Amino acid sequence: MSLAVEAVNVVKVFGDIHALNKLSFKVKPSEIFGLIGPNGAGKTTALRIVSTLLLPTSGTVRVFGLDVVEEAAEVRKIITYLPEEAGAYRHLSGWEYLEFMAKFNAKDESELRRMVEEAAEITGLGERLKDKTKGYSKGMKRRLLVARALMTRPKLAVLDEPTSGLDVLHAFHVREIIKRYVKEHGVTVLLSSHNMLEVEHLCDRVALLNKGKIVAEGNPKELKEKFDSANLEEVFAKVVGLA
Amino acid sequence: MLKGFFNILIKELKELVRDPKILLGMIIVPLIIFPVLGGIMSYSVQTAQEQAQKATVLVIDNDGGKWSQEFVNLLNSTAKVYVEKNVTSLTDEVVQQLLSHYNTTQIIEIPKGFSENVTQHLNVNSTITATLKFYGVFTGSGIFEGIGASLIDNLVHQFNRIQAPDIVLTEKSSIIKGEIKQGVDPASLSGLMMSQSIALPITIMILLQVAMQIAATSVAMEKEEKTLETLLTLPMDRFAILMGKLSGSIIVAAVGALAFMIGYNYMLFSFTMQIPAEISVDLASLGLVPSLFGYLLLGISLFVTLISALALAVIISAFAEDVRGAQSLVGYIYPVIFIPALALMYLDISSLPFALQMVFYAIPYSHPIIASKAVIMGDYWTAIFGIVYVAVFTIVLMYAASRLFATEKILTAKLKFKGLRRRRKKTEEEF
Repeated sequence: MSLAVEAVNVVKVFGDIHALNKLSFKVKPSEIFGLIGPNGAGKTTALRIVSTLLLPTSGTVRVFGLDVVEEAAEVRKIITYLPEEAGAYRHLSGWEYLEFMAKFNAKDESELRRMVEEAAEITGLGERLKDKTKGYSKGMKRRLLVARALMTRPKLAVLDEPTSGLDVLHAFHVREIIKRYVKEHGVTVLLSSHNMLEVEHLCDRVALLNKGKIVAEGNPKELKEKFDSANLEEVFAKVVGLA
Repeated sequence: MLKGFFNILIKELKELVRDPKILLGMIIVPLIIFPVLGGIMSYSVQTAQEQAQKATVLVIDNDGGKWSQEFVNLLNSTAKVYVEKNVTSLTDEVVQQLLSHYNTTQIIEIPKGFSENVTQHLNVNSTITATLKFYGVFTGSGIFEGIGASLIDNLVHQFNRIQAPDIVLTEKSSIIKGEIKQGVDPASLSGLMMSQSIALPITIMILLQVAMQIAATSVAMEKEEKTLETLLTLPMDRFAILMGKLSGSIIVAAVGALAFMIGYNYMLFSFTMQIPAEISVDLASLGLVPSLFGYLLLGISLFVTLISALALAVIISAFAEDVRGAQSLVGYIYPVIFIPALALMYLDISSLPFALQMVFYAIPYSHPIIASKAVIMGDYWTAIFGIVYVAVFTIVLMYAASRLFATEKILTAKLKFKGLRRRRKKTEEEF
């Protein structure tokens, strides 16, 4: 079986800035893989390339064997992407937003119903789904968007800071949903976070990114043991020479 | 005084003045638009005056008497005059042949008995008057078309002042599309057509402006609300995103334009209701409203222009990071909409210098206005040329817009002003 994501020597240059510098990593099907690192490490750029939004300056990225440059349209059929700080359409209700998004993937009306109802459950917004999204709090909006990204049961869900803006309770809820989808529907998740403690509990494997390069990669537990650290923050600090 | 007021004021002014978009849009652009418009108007007035001075007049002297000769001599002092004698039957065909032969647009007919009537008025009965007939060709060209017709008024006024008050009267007629329309004063007709022809350029101007704002806001809102990234990763043709946005903008703009037209027509109707019936002119009976085919061409012209404006707005807004930025950027396009609309309300494009004519023809937004005048006069080829030109321009823009949506440029493109360093710093932070 092909890898869910295979990035090989990916370079991305914006003007004279090297956002990614020969980045390589592999994500196995049905695993939760986390790209973690500080702001400006290149996490969002890497996820945008995997999601066909940006083109790599050099190197290749394949999603389930499909090249993200040459077969971008095919890649888009099997992925969903949740951008960091993404919004919803202000003048649509939560329910209308989910319907609008589901129509791009649903093959028929019954599948569309299934997607929207499943998403409605994930959001936990209940009757508030009938309200326009402009009245939602940041946390409510985020739950709506996470639900949108998972409801289609994509082969690969690319989630940029999925719990960004959520309080402890809702962040926990979203993490549980992500885990459930991976377990029940075989969804592969590639996510980014700068919250290293969070991904420690969520990800099967992580890659620590710094200045566009992977500085360490592996299972969170193995990494902690390897670097004799109490948590991933300590691992990161040791790897980049801060500790 | 409010505490902190000046501190806030100075901060606001610094922010506003240092924003190149505001500086350009609010200060530089108006400083350019109005002098340009003033220059065009001034040139046109000057040209019209020169043309009036150089105007040729054909006099048909069916009288052949002393006073008709006096009048021709007076006319010779202000205009180049050709004289034909004894053309008794001024039919449409005869008039066309004469206009073509003498390459003129004005005919003064001195009827038989003119000299006798003048003599009678001076010597016997001051109630007897002599009449001159004036025929002016109506081309629907612009505000200065009435200048030719006023020439005859000035001459008759001058003649009467020398000889006797109210000795000579004038009957004026218009030659419209080769037909003589008796009793229709070319100057009045020109004035009426002016008031009618202002409506369409204003509507077009507002329609284009509103549509461009909607389209630009639509794309910029996606960027500002960070929904564009999600949209671009959906399993759909990216051209469909572009077309969906353009179509939505067209529909909203069209509804807006319809509302505008209804309101504006109501205003014009209310206004014309107050004009006394005896001085009103029925343009439809004179053939001065577009035919069905003319309306069709006008509609197509407006439609392709609208699409091109929307495509341009979408492209421009792609370079903005938010709604405010997009609206400012689209504002730079307004001069090329406003200048042709305002200028062509009053002017005939053919009266402009060749280089300026080419500039106006090159601006796609001129063409619906040019077409609106052309179709009234039955000149369909001008309208068709405009449609083809704007359609080609639109196809090029649509291609550029579709390329923009197909690549990462839609996310990464930014217009480079000053402060590149600041933006670079920001870009670094985004990684």
